[in-house]
Amino acid sequence: MIAASLLFLFPVIWMLANSFKGDAAITADMNSLRAFIPPALGGSFLNNYVSVITSTGFVRYMLNTLLYAFTLIILGVIVNGLAGYALAKINFPFRERWLLIIMLLMIVPMETIITIHFLIIAKAGLLNTVIGYVLPMIVNPFNIFLFRQVFLGLPDDIYEAAQLDHCGPVKYFFTMVLPMSKSVVATVSVFTFLGVWNDYLWPSLVFTSSNLLTAQIGLNAITSNENTTMGQTLAAITMITIPVILIYSFFSKQIVEGVISTGSKEG
Amino acid sequence: MSFIEFKNICKKYAGTNKNAVTDFTLNIEEKEFVAFVGPSGCGKSTTLRMIAGFEEITDGELFIDGKRVNEIAPKDRGISMVFQNYALYPHMTVEKNISYGLKNMKVPEKEIKEKVDWVIKILGLEEYRERKPKNLSGGQRQRVALGRAIVKNQKVFLMDEPLSNLDAKLRVSMRNEISKLHRNLGSTTIYVTHDQIEAMTMADRIVIMKDGLIQQVGKPMELYDHPVNKFVAGFIGSPQMNFYEVKIQNGKIIFADGNEMSLPESRREKLSKYDKLILGIRGEDIKFDSVNLDLYKKDKQKAIIDNTEIMGNENNLYFAFGGGETIARVSKYEMSRVGDPVDFVFVPGKIHFFDPETENIIEE
Repeated sequence: MIAASLLFLFPVIWMLANSFKGDAAITADMNSLRAFIPPALGGSFLNNYVSVITSTGFVRYMLNTLLYAFTLIILGVIVNGLAGYALAKINFPFRERWLLIIMLLMIVPMETIITIHFLIIAKAGLLNTVIGYVLPMIVNPFNIFLFRQVFLGLPDDIYEAAQLDHCGPVKYFFTMVLPMSKSVVATVSVFTFLGVWNDYLWPSLVFTSSNLLTAQIGLNAITSNENTTMGQTLAAITMITIPVILIYSFFSKQIVEGVISTGSKEG
Repeated sequence: MSFIEFKNICKKYAGTNKNAVTDFTLNIEEKEFVAFVGPSGCGKSTTLRMIAGFEEITDGELFIDGKRVNEIAPKDRGISMVFQNYALYPHMTVEKNISYGLKNMKVPEKEIKEKVDWVIKILGLEEYRERKPKNLSGGQRQRVALGRAIVKNQKVFLMDEPLSNLDAKLRVSMRNEISKLHRNLGSTTIYVTHDQIEAMTMADRIVIMKDGLIQQVGKPMELYDHPVNKFVAGFIGSPQMNFYEVKIQNGKIIFADGNEMSLPESRREKLSKYDKLILGIRGEDIKFDSVNLDLYKKDKQKAIIDNTEIMGNENNLYFAFGGGETIARVSKYEMSRVGDPVDFVFVPGKIHFFDPETENIIEE
């Protein structure tokens, strides 16, 4: 297990170690074990990071992406959660058919409908706006399905007890259903975060203003700039990787619980 | 007008052609403790859920405190309910579970605190106040569920098999606690159970149901001593009443195994017109002592003990008689061993006779 972990970790360690080096040192260490050892602490230790932070808008792009991610997490949990709740607990005409349609939508890749999204957003005059970026990404059939699967297992008598405690359906959703389903909320939040954090295509279509760009576009701009050094590239990649690692470290238990509780193998 | 009035209540689920509850008519007085009892699927929980407003009433009318509530939302019916599986809010502490309803009802904070403190005290939950339900035992959870129901001081308490998940010992103590609570609070309580002992020990009146129909309504001992039909006679009492299919010939009761017994003198005329009857007798009305054997010596019967159950305070004796197995309940001093031959008599005044076709009691 440890050997397998090291196998997966070695590119990360390599990236981290070299992100503190200048290009000459990276090239010199390339064919030795020193490639996995960071340089000694010194005046130039953080040079790559300082230059990425000061000479590019990368931090701004990362903050933008965090903002989009948190907005989408909140809206996604509310919208997909409500849809999942309705599909799990509320009897309405053709409920099972709606579920089937939503499940079928899960197999449609984003890339196939992105042109339609773009045309709608452009027509609505929402290009280059946060709303234009966020709106088409709120509804996610897979997240609806995850929520539905978990909500199916919530006992009905708790809803009945809440009704007698003068708790209306909306309040019940926010004060009972979501807190009782923390695992799936965490799972959906993490998936949403990763989706936004790693997304390149949609923000590159919607945003042209540099103020609104996301981290992935920023990273691409940095790496494709011929003046960027290998060390700076690795520093930027390290910076963009840190939130993902942090999220996985904090929420790995909830993600596993969430996926298990849905009875789903996906994710 | 009674406090709760059921007028010909019916419940039919969509897609079924049979009523889950049929023509349920009953009056419940204020502060009364009424138990709905019956086997699984008899409609008792459905009826309770119609009172709560969780099930729509298909037909008939329901009045609570003089107000028709058929179309009124559960929260506006003035009821609180204890659920079979407690239905506690898992992410809230004991205190928050109990106070949640009051907060939603916009009761002032100070009053909420006073009420919650009072409930926590009377239910002995002081040391569990900050615990979440998963860290409580079954009995403690049940107390929290009770607390949540009583703190709101509603007009009617509904309890849906609240003790069915507890072990036998805890059930007895909770039975006692619920009875005391009812006496102290004076709330009108409707208690659903399949356990006739709970119904007998706690209720002022019992409603026995079968297949969605009320079989009999009465005080516990009325049902025990004067059941209206074989179902009620068999359902109430433990061990169950012994039943025998018997023939009536020349003023005698002929059992399936050929044993004979005289028809009770007072009922001879009425019963003689039947060819066949169902005879029922409770275990404690089968007597083995010399006084009774002497008193009813012409109808003395013999049997050999098949099995015994030592209960501590009393014993159950099993023996073959009348074409089936008979269970007699005797005091702890009347122990017999398996294989012992015994003489016994049925106390004539305690024998019940049922019409074999309708299974209704044949009145004296």
